[in-house]
Formats: sequence, structure tokens, C-alpha cells
Amino acid sequence: MKKKLILLILLLVILTSGKVYSQTKTASTTPEVNDQDIKIFKEKIANVVKKNNKAISGFVISNDNGIIEVKSSDDLTYEVKLDTDLTKYFQISGTQKKEIKSDNIEIDDFIIVTGVITDKSVAANAIFIDEKYIVSSGRITEVNKENYSIKLTTNAKETLTLDIETSTKQYLVNIKTNAVESTGFSKIKEGDIVHYVIKKTNTTKESSFSAQKILIIPQEYFLK
Amino acid sequence: MKKETIIAIIFGIGLGTILAFFVINRNNETKLTKNKVIAPSGIVNKTITTPVNTQIQAFEITSPQDGVIVDKASILIAGKAEKNSLIIIQSPIKDLSLKNTQTNFSTDFPLALGENTINISVYSSDKNTVPQEKTLKIYYLDSQL
Repeated sequence: MKKKLILLILLLVILTSGKVYSQTKTASTTPEVNDQDIKIFKEKIANVVKKNNKAISGFVISNDNGIIEVKSSDDLTYEVKLDTDLTKYFQISGTQKKEIKSDNIEIDDFIIVTGVITDKSVAANAIFIDEKYIVSSGRITEVNKENYSIKLTTNAKETLTLDIETSTKQYLVNIKTNAVESTGFSKIKEGDIVHYVIKKTNTTKESSFSAQKILIIPQEYFLK
Repeated sequence: MKKETIIAIIFGIGLGTILAFFVINRNNETKLTKNKVIAPSGIVNKTITTPVNTQIQAFEITSPQDGVIVDKASILIAGKAEKNSLIIIQSPIKDLSLKNTQTNFSTDFPLALGENTINISVYSSDKNTVPQEKTLKIYYLDSQL
């Protein structure tokens, strides 16, 4: 009996002292993610989106079935694809912007579209209704003092007529100090250079505009 | 054949070659003299026109890039233009006139919300030069969009 007990103890010792082979711990499929990692990841995504985010602008020529067609100032037509969840719409007025709906965008509106541009297609992130301005210059060829308008020839040899309204801001370059000063219509002469800002709509006549602002460089500057 | 004969032949060929070389050379010299262009006598006035001020600095905008989207209400406009030229920078909200004393110029320029069309014109100090102009479109929009 004693012998059997000793053998049993020996057998137990042998069995328990052996190496235990088991599966090693593997990496968990769901790694621990802390808030800092999420923040860095979000910043990286935001940077990639920002990097690919470009802007185009132009007048709306159609708005159907989630696609807006826009004609840019260089006569290119872009297809703007709208995303019901992603795309946001705004109306810019002065220094403020107001969120609007896609239905508020109408034909002939001037819009700025931001998003990812591929060839002539834009996946829109945001659309802003804005106002289109033309900023250019030319030489005055005629001053009409009866109807307060000036005729000019642009550097591209185009002839324009600018109506000087009471609201038109009129400035002049002081030929001695080069400073920009306020002026009046009576000081404008044929031969002066005029820098002008005009508001453009899709229906504006091509050769006659109401001037928002003019800046005159007197011809005397070039005779110095 | 006798040894003296061979020597005489070699001597004759050598002498003939030297004579032929001399005659050909002389003939070429005569031809050159006949074809030589004679310059008119007297003092030739060489009028060398040294171009004055031909290296006009081409007008260029180094910053910002056209079509860029920004999230600040102003932007730094920088570039190169001819020294002492008059630079006019105009947008719907601001008119700026500056005389650049150096080739490089830079100025801070305000932006309106939305599209900013900025026209930059350079009038050279040489009044007969055609003004150079560039137009930039800068979009001041919300950075979150």
C-alpha cells in the first residue's frame, strides 16, 4: 500500500512538473485607442480634405436632380454634384453668411463651390451664393458730363461705358504723394487712366455698366 | 638597273614633289589676294548701340496663388516689379497705390467674405511702357467647409 502511494505521488510529480504548452497571447483585433489618437486621426483627415478642397465660381445655368451646372468666367462649364448629407448651402451678404437650402439656388445666381474637383466635375462640400465683380482698367476716351458717364478703352482694346452714379465711389491718385484720395466727376478728363469695379450679373449688357467704384490716375502722372 | 640610276630617280621624284607643293601654295596665295574684299578707305565709324535699361524686371506675383481658399480677412500680396514703378492694387473693398522703391514689394490687403477679385497693375517709371496687370481670385471662406 505504501509502495502504491509512493508510486502515485511520483506519477503526480512527473505529470505536474512537465512543461505546459499553451497558445501564446496574440494581439487583440480591437487595439486600445485613446482620445489623443482620435484627435490626431481627425486632424490628418481634415488636412487631407483641406488640401484637396478647391474652389470654382460662376453663374448657374441649370439646377436639376442633384446636379448644378455652372459656367465660369473663363467660359468653362462645371458639373457640381450635390450630396444630400454633406453639401451645405449659404447666402453671403456683406460680412455675414446665412445657411440656406439647395432649392434657394436659382438659374443666373453667381455661386462659389468648394469641394474636390476632378476634371470639370465638382463633388460639392459647400455652395455660397455671392455677387460677381469685375475689376479692371482702361484709358478714358470720352467724358459725358450730361449723363455722367465715361467711355473707355480697356487694355484688351474693348470699349466700355461706365455710368457714374451718386453711389459710385470716386478716387484719384495724388501725383505728388501717390496717395489715394476722394475725388469728384468734374476732375475726370479724357486721357486719364481709370481703374474700375463693376458688378456683373448674368443678364448685364456687355458694354455698359454701372460703376461701383473708380480710381483715376491723372494723365499728368505720366508727363512728370 | 644601276644604283646611280635609282638614286637619280628618287632624287628627281623628291625634287618634283617639293616643286609641285611650292607651285600649288603660291597659286592659292594669288587667288586669295585677287578675292580679298577691300574695305573703304578712311575712318570707319563703328556705331555700337549699347541697350539702355533693356533688363526690365518682369512683373510677377509670388504670393498668393490664384484661386487659393483662405480663412483670414486679409492676405499678404507679394511680388516683383520694376524699381520705382507705380503699383495699383484694387478690389471691390479696397484701393491701394504704392511706389516700390525696390524690385520686391509686399503689402497686407483686406478680403471680403466670398470671392475677392484683386487686380494688380504696374505702371513703369518709363512712361512709354505699356502697363502690366494681373488679376487674382482669392476665396475667403469658412475653414470648416
